[in-house]
This record gives sequence, structure tokens and C-alpha cells, in this order.
Amino acid sequence: MAFDELRVNGGSYPLAAAVGRTLAETLREDLGLTGTKVACGEGHCGACTVLLDGVPTLSCITLVHTVGNRDVTTIEGLREHPLVASFVRADALQCGFCTPGQIVSAAALVAAIPSPTREEVRHAMSGNLCRCGAYPKIEEAVVTWQD
Amino acid sequence: MARLIRTEKEVEGHYTEQWIVVDEDALDQWPAGPLQTVGKPAPRVDGRERARGEATYTADIQLPGMLHAAVLRSPHARARVRSLSLSSVLAAPGVRAVLEPGDSHVLTDEPGYHGAAVAAVAADTFAQARAALAQAAVEWEVLEPLLDPDQAVEKGSLVSEPNVSERGATERGVSEAEAVVEAEYRTQTVLHNSLETHQAVCVWESGRLDVYISTQFLWGVRATVAEQLELPPDKVRVVCNFMGGGFGSKNGPGEYTFIAAELARRTGRPVRCALTRREENLATGNRNSTIQRLTAGARSDGTLTVLKGDYVNSVGFEGWSPSTGGPMELLYACENVRVAEHGAKLNTPPNAAFRAPGFVEGTFGLECLMDELAARLDLDPLELRMRNYADSDLVDGRPFSSKNLLECYRRAQPHWARREEVRARSQGPWKHGMGLASQVWYGGGGPPSYAWVRVGSDGRVQVVTAMQDIGTGSRTAMAQIAAEELGLSLDRIEVSLGDTSRGPFASISAGSSTIPSMGPAVRSAAADAARQIVEIAAQRYHLEERVLSLRNGHIVSADGGSWPIEEITELLGEGQILGKGARGPNPTGMRTLTFGVQLAEVAVDIETGEVLVDRIVAIHDVGRVINPLGASSQVEGGIIQGIGHTLSEDRLLDPGTGTVLTQTLDAYKLPTIADVPEIVAEFVDRPDEHLTNLGSKGLGEPPIIPTSAAIANAIRDATGANVRSLPITREEMLRALRAAREREGLERTAETVGEVRSA
Amino acid sequence: MKFVRPESPEAAASSLGNGSVALAGGTDLVPMLRDGLVQADELVFLRDVVPRGVQSGRIGAGTTLAELEVDPELPQALREACAASASPQLRSMGTIGGNLLQATRCWYWRLRFPCYLHGGDRCHARQGTHREHAIFGNDRCASAHPSDPAAALLALGARLQTTRRELPVADLYRLPTEENRNLTALERDELILELDVPTPDASVYLKAMDRRAWSFALVGVAAARFGAETRLALAGVAPVPWLLENPSALEQSTPLPGTAYKVEIARALVRRALASLPTT
Repeated sequence: MAFDELRVNGGSYPLAAAVGRTLAETLREDLGLTGTKVACGEGHCGACTVLLDGVPTLSCITLVHTVGNRDVTTIEGLREHPLVASFVRADALQCGFCTPGQIVSAAALVAAIPSPTREEVRHAMSGNLCRCGAYPKIEEAVVTWQD
Repeated sequence: MARLIRTEKEVEGHYTEQWIVVDEDALDQWPAGPLQTVGKPAPRVDGRERARGEATYTADIQLPGMLHAAVLRSPHARARVRSLSLSSVLAAPGVRAVLEPGDSHVLTDEPGYHGAAVAAVAADTFAQARAALAQAAVEWEVLEPLLDPDQAVEKGSLVSEPNVSERGATERGVSEAEAVVEAEYRTQTVLHNSLETHQAVCVWESGRLDVYISTQFLWGVRATVAEQLELPPDKVRVVCNFMGGGFGSKNGPGEYTFIAAELARRTGRPVRCALTRREENLATGNRNSTIQRLTAGARSDGTLTVLKGDYVNSVGFEGWSPSTGGPMELLYACENVRVAEHGAKLNTPPNAAFRAPGFVEGTFGLECLMDELAARLDLDPLELRMRNYADSDLVDGRPFSSKNLLECYRRAQPHWARREEVRARSQGPWKHGMGLASQVWYGGGGPPSYAWVRVGSDGRVQVVTAMQDIGTGSRTAMAQIAAEELGLSLDRIEVSLGDTSRGPFASISAGSSTIPSMGPAVRSAAADAARQIVEIAAQRYHLEERVLSLRNGHIVSADGGSWPIEEITELLGEGQILGKGARGPNPTGMRTLTFGVQLAEVAVDIETGEVLVDRIVAIHDVGRVINPLGASSQVEGGIIQGIGHTLSEDRLLDPGTGTVLTQTLDAYKLPTIADVPEIVAEFVDRPDEHLTNLGSKGLGEPPIIPTSAAIANAIRDATGANVRSLPITREEMLRALRAAREREGLERTAETVGEVRSA
Repeated sequence: MKFVRPESPEAAASSLGNGSVALAGGTDLVPMLRDGLVQADELVFLRDVVPRGVQSGRIGAGTTLAELEVDPELPQALREACAASASPQLRSMGTIGGNLLQATRCWYWRLRFPCYLHGGDRCHARQGTHREHAIFGNDRCASAHPSDPAAALLALGARLQTTRRELPVADLYRLPTEENRNLTALERDELILELDVPTPDASVYLKAMDRRAWSFALVGVAAARFGAETRLALAGVAPVPWLLENPSALEQSTPLPGTAYKVEIARALVRRALASLPTT
């Protein structure tokens, strides 16, 4: 057992987790933050994306002990982000299982590039798979997030 | 008054006669076109919950004391368990119970495919369950797997009798033809890969079983679980509030539900059995691969004289043989048609319904064949299709309840006219071209389905029905229908679904049937509630019922009176107005189908085999469109899955052992956002006047059906190469280009490389 | 399992081996630990001790691909190779040091078939399903090296500084032999610390994939011109990143039945890469 502290969405959580436990498991099972989804569990689909100090990170293959003092931002910390409204407005979600990860990735993109081009959206969002195929409207939602 | 009637129900082309009880429903269809709410774009009513990560999926259910199951699966395509010892598994940390073959009907000691469930364990955490399984001592007798579908057909290894149907005389049709094309087409095995994997949480309480499950059919799960576990159905409660995709693979309870139920029974604790992505890609079904040996013959004016299809479906160890020949039977007015479908039983994972099963594959073959025929006849492909337009269903001579495919073709023409312009974009190694393909599919839905509508004293409305929203936007569409009927704004409607203990029977979300099955029931329930509101208002305002109606949140009278609806509902106090509704019967003796056409623009790099899809125009005829915004999303999603099917997705096996090699999402390549073309979605949007009180058909499946053929035909237009095998990978594209060059005698021998893939 | 944050790179290196495994971005290691492809009693976390960032052509091995992708100081081939790698999240997590050392995507190896690379006596891909596999150096093991940046660095003639030595990136890799099935020449207790990347006159990276993003290279071609000399290197065509002496060396490739198409693609991409390099 190693003891650590985890900073999530502005709060701080004492943490006792076995080495090997992932950030996704900790968020979902220990902290009850189930907005972060796990769809492949091996870093291939992007559903589990969270921000570490603003950088999009796959929480399902991030060991919680490697997080250290970096700030974790999950969808629960982005609930008031204008992207939520723009995703709904553009109908940029169908089943919605990939959507929290999409919004987290998009939030990092628009923080770096407030008015991204479609090409920039496609480059930055290509690691977030959506099996329903909401992509055209995801692109629309990200491009129009400030409207 | 309840009426007992005999009606037909269709699920994916299979018609059964059944008795149903329906209430009188004398509702006329609404006028065509956009209304107050129906027919206008509506963002999903549950979009915010989903986007904010607040929606609780089955994957998010966490119950006190819940255990986690892991499943031991066969690593071999065909084997016998000689011996199995789970004593070390049972002794491993955190383990609470184990199951072995014999403990549940879903576990086997003679697995017939890689991934078949053999044993299971429940532990405090999933990691413990998984680690414990590694301790299982299994001695396998590995047997030779049967993997070749043609060989299976030859040996008579079939899941069912071959399905052969013939109309007219195909031999005469061949002899009357002035041009005949024959070709063999192949489609690959495709994996659903819903992002939420198949899973269930089971809890026993006082002899009652609660099943939380990611499913497309709450009531089907209820019935199957109750039957298998010998429980009265009302002792089984099935819950699915939010569902992370299914695409046909989640129509039943699956092995995981029975594993969770049995482990929960043995431990007295809630048990989750959630598949990993790799298990998902082994054991939850697939779109089976096909081999299609097809013939088309026509007179020189393009009139089809014969269509013949010999189909081999690689069904797998279990499953059913889909109607791959369906499009050939239904799409064209050809008098002489013969279709033979063989469902090969193999030592491969079983198939499952996948978004228009059979028709996606069969349309690829048929619509490519039509273009090859058009090329042979030197006819315009669109013209060839219009010349063979079917005015009625030639399978059994029924009239269509509605068909607007000609209108789809008409609307396609301005897009089709871009063809020269598209071709002219070719530059250097990049060749541009355009192709099209037609679509036919079912999608009329059917009874029984029920809904209730509850109006509270605050004038807000709850639609209650135990249906499911699998991500297609059903909640929103049902809310729109209720809002329209009650003359209320959408924000005053809630839809309560997803729980068999909290609403009446509702139909499956499969076969493009949710809107045509459920929508009429919801409208009927809303109309019942509206009628009651009007009755009360008539008494309150001393007017005749017939002069009152509900509009814009008001009760309005023919003479100009208008009262907010709350004036009536607040009289209720804690009382409620309860409306109930049922789906009426389908039109007798008619064939209800959906139609459409898609046009694809592609660019092909003839040096590297890269195919880029630039643009797809989709024009579909699905009757009345309830929510144009959600409908366009369905079309885009279907097309994007179709692009994956056409270009990059392929479940690969090791040819020696039958091991599934592409279990993960790096190896199995779904389309990304970067792979998406411009998509233009159009709808004919004419209510089917014979179908229900709505005139709406389903749209889930139609958009994926013509995509692969439209792309392949565009590739032929661009390059002259016949791509007849999916997916059109680099190697398949380069092979087809080489074959085209050889055909034209232009093969540059200096650049020849070895044969990539046999034709 | 223990988790260790070492004080220095030397301390990190010296603790490796005997069940101690180095962990940087974790994109490859964490899944492999779970799959049992790597066993570890102890994880030695490199984040705080391995150099990170770019300074006058020297790249810290802990720099992520996402950071390299946008660094205007770096040669185009390397930036393009990084941008074309994996997915945005994997690029944000994965370090260049880890990227060079990543394991093959060969499905037989990943699914733990007892293959040549796992110490067995044959390569299952050669007789099996191998469309993503090698056209060079594939007689014993037909796996394909997945790294795009490795090919770029090979064409650029980059040198590596490890905790023990300096070596050209070409010497990091080796084909497996009967005695030694490793694909890299790194000692068990040796860490890559920095990369020294020469500045070419021009360079480019082209990549053929199964989809337009987030896919390992079917063929990746890096070309770098230094004066009159142009160096070519390929990704996805051999068990290791492959230096191509000249374009016609492609005619000496040894494709398998299912990888012959890669030769055709490589020919076209090599031609395009060379054509795209401006001559002075």
C-alpha cells in the first residue's frame, strides 16, 4: 500500500490504493466520479480521457501513483463548460458513452486554441472514438462552442 | 373498447400472424410536414445529462456489497475440457464463488469457438476475479476447427436448412438477356464495438431478481431470464436507463446475465458481469462474413431479365443465417429471381444482428453488380435503376404501404449531375469518381406496444413506458409526439423509460422499429389524456367538447376562447389525468418497407491504394420524420459505420487455429473523426398514409445499407477497378487496380509485385 | 508491486532489472503489465529524473510526442512523425524515449503465442495472418516496428545519450537471433536520457495507414537531406526501424504473400518523399 493525495476538480482526496490501480478505477470506484467512462481499458478509445494539468490523458492506462501533484480534471469538473451546451445544441452525441471523453478532449483543445479550424479539431479529437458516429456534429459543436 | 384482432408482425422481414388486443384508436394522421414540435429539430431531451457525465449507464451501477465476475473463455476454436480444477481459483484472494460447466447452461466444456464461456468467478474486485481465473487448471483436448465456409457448405455443416426461393424462370431469364454479368463478392466479419460493453448487474431479493443490463429490449430480457430461471416474469425486473450502444448485439440477455444471476444467487450479493473490450470482440456477436456469387442479365435497354444469387453466410458456431439475398428479391422489378442462402456453421464466434443484418452485405453485392451491368450495357447507373423500378413487392405481389424511391432518385439527380465535375478533379495519382447505390429494408414496426401519459396538476406531462433509448434519441422523439398531441412545449414533457416495473410493455429497439412501434402508442396515450383534459374543460367552461382543442399550452375554443391548460389541471390537486395508448395493427396485406439512395464521391490514390471518401449524399424515405435533427444524426452515424465497414474494419482470424487476432481497438480499426466525409442527409418526409396514426417508419438501419456499394461504385467510376471484396484496404485496392490494368492489357510488368490477395 | 520515485537517472538505472521495470508515459507498459507481457515487482518512475524538453537540437528522452510535434526548432520529419503517431492522448502521455523502445503490435506476440520473439521456435505471422507485418529482416520474426519517430530519427542520424554511453539510433536496434530475441541493444539497467538530432537541410515523413489517424504505419517513410546526401528510413516494414540504403534497395525486400503490397506503397512514398525535399 502506498498513500497519496489526489487533486481532482479542485478538491483534494487522501488516497490509499494498491500500486497498479489506475486513475480511472480510482475516480470511478473510489471517488464515485462515474462521468469518466471506461470503454476499452487499454488506451485505444479515449472514453476515459481526463486532464492532468490541462493535458488530455487516458485515465484507464494511467496508474494513479504517477499522477503526483498534477491537477486532475474530469467531466464533473467541466459540467459548466460551454462545450456541454454546444454538444447538446449540435446533437453531438447519440448513446453518449464517449461524450464525457469527447468534451474533456475538446476542452483542452479550445483552451489552447480558442477558435480551432476543422482540421485542428480533427487532429486533436482523433483519439476519441465514437461508435455511433456523432463525429460531424462533434466537429460542429467544437467549432461553434463560443456561440 | 378493447378489440381482439389478428394482425401481422414483421421483424426484419419475417412475418408472423398474431392476435393482439388494441384499444379503439380513431386518430387521423397529422397533416404532412413540420408541425408545432413534430417535424422540427429538437436537441435531445437527455443530452445534458449524458454530456455532463450524470447519466447512469449499466456500467455505472454501483451497489453495496457488489461483487465482480470474470469469465474463463476458451482460448481454442474447438476443444474439449479434459479436466478442470477451480480449487486454486476458489482459494485466491477475494474470491466468493465459482461456476463451472454444469452450473449454468451458458457454460460449456466443449467450446466451439474462441471465446466461448467455460467457467466464471465472482470476487470482491474485478482485478481479483481476473487474477483468480489465471489460477484455473484446465487440460484441453484441442480439436481441428472448421473455418472455411465453402468447405462447411460442402460438408453440410449448416446452422439451418438452405433458404432457397425462386420466382419466374431464371434459365429463361438468362437466355433472354443480351448482357450477362457474373461476379463473386465478399464481405468481411465486422464487430459491433458498442462503447459500453455487454454487461449486467444481478441482485436477488426475496425470490425476485433485479437485472440492470445494457440492452435493446427490456421485455425480451425479462421473458428470456424468467423462462430460463423458471420464474414468473413479474419476479424479474429489468432496468436500463441509459445505454451505451448496441447496434443489434444487445437484443437478448447474453451469457453474462445468467453468469451474474447464478453468482448472485450463490453469494447472496449483487454481482456485476461486465465484459472487457477483448471479450466483447470475441463473444458478443458480429456481422458475419459472406461470399456472394451473383449473376445479372438484362436486355440492351437495361430491363433486367434475371437476377441470381448464391450466398454463403459464415454464421459461426451458433446464430442464424441472415437474409443476404433480401435486397435482390425486393429492390428491382425483375421477373426471374433465384436466391439461395447457406448459413455455414463454423468454429468461429457466433454472429448477431448488426444494423440491417444481411441487407448491408447483400446490397454491397447487388448494387456493385448493377453498376458492373450498367458498364457492360453502357447505361447510366441511375438510369438502369429507374428502368427497373418495382411498383409492388414481387415476392408475394403485395402493394407497398408507401414507396417514394422514385422521389429519392429524382432528388439524387442534381447531385448525380456533379459527376463530370468530380471526375475532372483527378490529378496525378489521385483519381476522383462518383457512385450510387439504392437501399431497401424493413422498418415498419408493429404491435404490441403500450404507453401511458400522466398529466399532473402543474400541467406537466410524464410519458411512461418501459421502452429503452439505445442512443438513437427515442426519449426525445416520444416527448415530441406527446407534446404535439397535447399542444404543449417540449420542456413540459418528461419521458420515463428503462424499467419494466415502471411502465407497460414496449417493443424492442431493433429492426428500425422504435419510432414506428412506440410512437403511435405514445400518441394514442397522449390523445387519451388530451381527450380527458378537454372533457374536464368542457364541464369547467360550460362548452361542448367538440369545440375545444389543445394548442400552445392552452385550451382553445372554436369561438376564440383561450385558457392556460393549468387552469384545468390545477383543479386536480394531487389527482392526475391518466391516458393510455396502444400501437394499432399494421395495414393488412401490404408490404411496409423503407427506401433510399446514397451517392458517394471518392478520391483514390492509385499508387498507394488509399481511398478517401469526400462526400456522401443520403436521401431516404422513411415516412414522416419526427425529429429532423436526430434523424440526420442517425443518417450520419449509419454512413460512418458504413465507411468503417467499407474501408478499415476487419475481424481477422489466425487461419490455423481460428484465434481472433483483432480483439483490441488499435488492431480493429473503427473510423475516427478524421475519416469522416462531408455528409448531406435529406428526407422525403412523406407520411405513410397506411401505417399507424403517425405514418412514420424507422431509420436506424437504412443509412448503413447502401454506403459500401456507393463507395465501391465511386471507386470503379474513378479508376475502372472492380473492388469486390470488403474491406477495401490498401492491398485490396492495389489488387483491384492491378486486375483492371491486366484486363486492359496495360500491365506494366516492370512494376509488378506479387499477388497480394487471391481474388 | 512497489512504486519507486528514484532520486537521479543513475539511481533509476541501477535499480532496474530483477523485477524492477522503468515506467515513463506508461502507454505501452501499463497495458502490457495487465496482459502479463511484462512482469514487475517494482515500478521505477522516470518522470522526475529523465530530462524533458528541447534545447538546441538536444531532446530530453522524457519529452512527450505532443511536445515534439509542435516544436518549431525540430526537423520537419520528426515533427511530422510525432504528429502522425498514435492518438492525441497517447502523444500527450508517451515520451520519445519510451516510443523508441515500444514493443511490436504483432497480434501473435501481443496475444502471447509462443512465437520466435517470445523465445519460441517459429514466427506465427509468417504462416498466419500478416498483412501488417514486415517486408525486410523478416526471416525469423516478421513483426513490424511501430514507431514513426524512430524512422525519422534514423533518417536524421540522431544519436542517443544513455546512462552508459552515446550511440547512433541505428545501433539501438538489432534483429533477433537464436541466442538473443531482443529487438534493442539496450542493457537491462540502461536508460535513454537524451537524443541529439542533427539539423538537415530538409526532411519529411510520409505515412500510409488503414485510416486517416490513430493507426500504426503500414509503411512510414522518413527522408532527410544533408547537403548532397539523402538518408531514407522506413517504419512498419521490419522488426526494427529500417534504414534504406537507396530507393532501389526496396527491390531486395523479402515480402510475405500478405505484405507484398507494402513494397508498392513504399516505392510510391519514397519517390514522393524524395521529390518533396527541396534541393539547394
